[in-house]
Order: sequence, then C-alpha cells, then structure tokens
Amino acid sequence: MSAISSSLSRVGTIAGNTFLEAVRQRFFIALLVLAAGLLVSTEFLREFNFGASEVRFIADIGFGALVLFGSVLTITVTAQLFFAEIESRTALTLLAKPVRRGEFIVGKFLGVWLVVLIFCVIVTLLVCAVLATREAEILAADPDAGDALVSYGAVIAAAAVQWVKFGVLGAITLLLGSYSNTNLFSVATALLVLVICHLQYLARDVWERGGSAVAQVGAGLLGLLFPNFQLFNLADLVTAGEPFGAALIVRVTLYGLAYIAVFLALASFSFRRREI
Amino acid sequence: MSDAPQPAVEIRGLTKDFPLNLRGLRLRAVDDLTLEIPRGCVHGLLGPNGSGKSTTIKVLLGLLRRTRGTCRVLGCESDDPAVRARIGYLPESPDFHRFLTGRELVRYYARLCGVARAGREARAAEMLEWVGLTAAADRRIGSYSKGMLQRVGLAQALVHDPELVILDEPTAGVDPVGSADIVRLILKLKEAGKTVLVTSHLLAQAEDVCDRIAILNRGKLIAAGTVDQLVSRSGALSFVVEGMPPDAVGELRAWLDTRGWRLASAGPHRSRLDELFLERIRKSEEGA
Repeated sequence: MSAISSSLSRVGTIAGNTFLEAVRQRFFIALLVLAAGLLVSTEFLREFNFGASEVRFIADIGFGALVLFGSVLTITVTAQLFFAEIESRTALTLLAKPVRRGEFIVGKFLGVWLVVLIFCVIVTLLVCAVLATREAEILAADPDAGDALVSYGAVIAAAAVQWVKFGVLGAITLLLGSYSNTNLFSVATALLVLVICHLQYLARDVWERGGSAVAQVGAGLLGLLFPNFQLFNLADLVTAGEPFGAALIVRVTLYGLAYIAVFLALASFSFRRREI
Repeated sequence: MSDAPQPAVEIRGLTKDFPLNLRGLRLRAVDDLTLEIPRGCVHGLLGPNGSGKSTTIKVLLGLLRRTRGTCRVLGCESDDPAVRARIGYLPESPDFHRFLTGRELVRYYARLCGVARAGREARAAEMLEWVGLTAAADRRIGSYSKGMLQRVGLAQALVHDPELVILDEPTAGVDPVGSADIVRLILKLKEAGKTVLVTSHLLAQAEDVCDRIAILNRGKLIAAGTVDQLVSRSGALSFVVEGMPPDAVGELRAWLDTRGWRLASAGPHRSRLDELFLERIRKSEEGA
C-alpha cells in the first residue's frame, strides 16, 4: 500500500469512528427533533392564511432551523468529540499508532462534517416535504397562483451551500480546539467567531466608507481572517424568490473549501506542537 | 563495525522539561537519561510516582517532544510516525471508546496500523482470544471491568504484531488474579521473541517477569542492569532446607562458625503472599 493510500485509509478510519460516535450521541438526535419540531409547527401557521407568501415563510423558518441548529451541532459536536479523545486519553493509544497529527485532525473533521451532512439532508427533506404539502394545498385552492410556488432545486442548492459553511465552522472549531485546553473555551470562542463571520461584512462596509488607508487595510485583514458567512446565505435569495445561477454556487463553494483547507492546515500545525 | 544486534531502544542524554508558568519556571521530569534496551528481553522501568517513567515512554512514542538528547526506537528516530507501526502501546489506566464493542475496537486499531483487510477480522479474533476476551468480544466496552479494559488494551497493542511492546503500569488497579494473567501474557510475549518495556510499582512482580531493570528517581537513572545483578548479594548464598527441626539451627550455626562462615538469617520458609493468594483462589475455583 502506498504512503498516500495508507494515509487516506487512516483518515477514513478515524472519520468513520468519529461519525459513529457522533450519531450515537443523544445530542444529535435532540437537535434533529428540535429542528423537525420547529418545521412541523409551521403547519399551524395556515390559520393565518398568508396565501403564496406562506410558502416563503415556511422556507424561511426551515432555513432558520437549519442554520441555527446546524451551527450549534457543528460547534458542539466538533469540540466535544475532539476533547473527548484528549480528556478520556483515547488519543494516547490512537496517536501511539502510525497516525500523523494532521491525519487525526482531518479524520475528526470529516467525521463531523459527515454527521452535519446527514443533519442537513434530513432537515432539507423535511423542509421540502412541508413546502410541497402546502404548495399543493395552495395551488389546489387557487388555480390562478401559477404552476409552481417553490424551486426545490434552489432549496437544495441553498442547503448544500449551508453545509459547506458548516464545514468552515467545523474547521474553525478544530483550529481553536487544537491549542485551547478546554471544551468550553473552544465552544464559546467558536460561537463568537460565528457571530463575527456573520457580521464582518457590516464592519467592512463601515471601515471602507471611512476611506483612510488604515481603515482599508483593516477591512481587508478582517475580510481575510474571518470568512464572510453572508455569502453562504443563498436561502435569502430562495425566500425572496430571486433566482441564482450555478456559477454563484460554485464560487461560494470554492470560497468555503479554500477556508476549510487553510483552517485545517493551521489546526494540524498547531496540534502537531501539542503535547498529549 | 560491530556485529552486535541493534538495541530495541537507545536513549542518550534524554532530558524533558515541562513549563510551569509564563515566567519560564520549568519542571524537569527526565534528567539526562541514558538507557539501552536489548532486543528480545523484558525490561522493567521502575520508580516512584513522578520519577519520569511515563514521560520517558511518551517521548519514545513521539507523544511528547524531548527537550534534549536522542531517542532511537528499533533503529529509527522516536518521533518518526512510521516506526510506531512496529510498536504496541498500552497506557496506564487505559480508556477506550465506550460505544464500541471489544471486537470493533481491536478492528479499529488494526485498520489504523494497516493490518490488511483480508486478515483483519481473524487477527482481531485471535488477539481477543489470546487475552481471554472472546466471550466478551461483542459487548460494549462501557460494560467492561478494569481488568477487561487492560486486556482489551493489550489486544489493541498487539493486533499489528509489533516488535516492541510498551506497557505502562499494566497491572495498576487490577486484582491479583487479573494481574497474574497479565504477567503470564508478558511472559508469552517474551517467548514469542518480542521486546517488552514495562513500568510497574509492584516490585516483586517486576522481579518475576523482567530480565533487566532500570530504576528512576526524580527523572534520573539510579540503577540499571539484569535482575540478578541488581538483587544478588555478593558472597552470600540462600538455601531452603526441608525437614530440618528448628533446634538444629544452633548446630548448623556452630558448624558454620567452625568454618569461618556466618549464618545471616534462618527461619521458617514463607510463601509470598501473592503466590498464596493465587494458589487458594485456584483451589477454590477447582472445588466449585
């Protein structure tokens, strides 16, 4: 077996074990139930008789559940599974095998990302099911409403891009965990970074409008250090009924993958220096 | 060039400091340690708590970075991950993924060590049988006793057939029966030609199982050699005489005096407590 295929096999083994550990945790199930509950509760909103805009409202709630619970799941599961290996000292036996620190980090990341993928798929299917049910009812009641109220392809694409964003968030959490000593610190800092990444475009706007060279450089650095999570919000376009092309999806996905690669490389470098 | 076989472990001038605070205060856990472990022997690393045994082992495994000195394991630098494919390691008080069964755990480590898919299942089963866990192989590790954890730990350490086996306090917290089982497994490893590096607080047990011993205190090597070299008293012999009445000891002492020798100690021959315990347990189980 070549060195590369051996390395990939070890990464896959760690990812598989991480995935198994995560799905056996009740937290994952609890978040899934919460998200599903929130989504199914939109069924009761029909009493308000929103008409066609109700479909957008349901999509909004669905994506809100996906973003909120997906972010919480990504941060907590990544930090928890990483620190569980350190605190229960299973990392001792694992890293005493021919496993490189980088392989450990990437394996952990892929395992969590796979868990988040399952979460995204289930929530997206639920969103689509609720939307389809309501769309059919609206169209049956009002034949003049048109042929279709929802673009399911756009819903799926927007959810897929959110999954890429969760990947960036997971990689950030691993980077924080690679040098911090406690799970709590990593979770708290990752939540803070999540807020910064969602709001960094506002700060950049303000600084860039300030006009000075220092402000421009500051805005540039901020934009480089913290990925702009607003770019991943294609769900806003879906709920606003604005179409978007494949080029935008590819561009945002590549942007996310580049950040994932950089954060994982930094996490591996930082973890390589850590004494177990 | 010497034809002597390369030692399994060569440590030269190893020093390991841990930073204690930001002002540069450091704790020296291992202090200028030089040690060689020949291949094919059971080598004990003894010492009180905090003497640097586990730190030395972690440096050998690349889990800690050395401050100074060199460490070579099986002819390679100790921080080379590739060499760890030839080492098996059981940490002190091991804990494993509790959501896995014993079989899944051993298979998991076999995959990490690159054991070929074709023989992986059989190898895992063989190791579980070797450590006496076949009956519990499909139970979750969360339900294992301390002794069973040690044994499944031993199975994962050996699943890739390593040349060097490092066991950190393998009998810590294990009852005397489990402890004797582990000693038997170590002796089986020796018979199989493996090099075993073992740390222990139980000195009598170390004496029984080890060919060579190194004693550390406060990170420094204070004694090293074969067990016989370390525990023998030069110019003294010991006998166990059966059927001799106690009042004949005076007669024997007098005879020895006439030859210019001195009887240093005499008394009833006692079994060791661990031997007595194991014998009684075995008998009670045979009777049950």
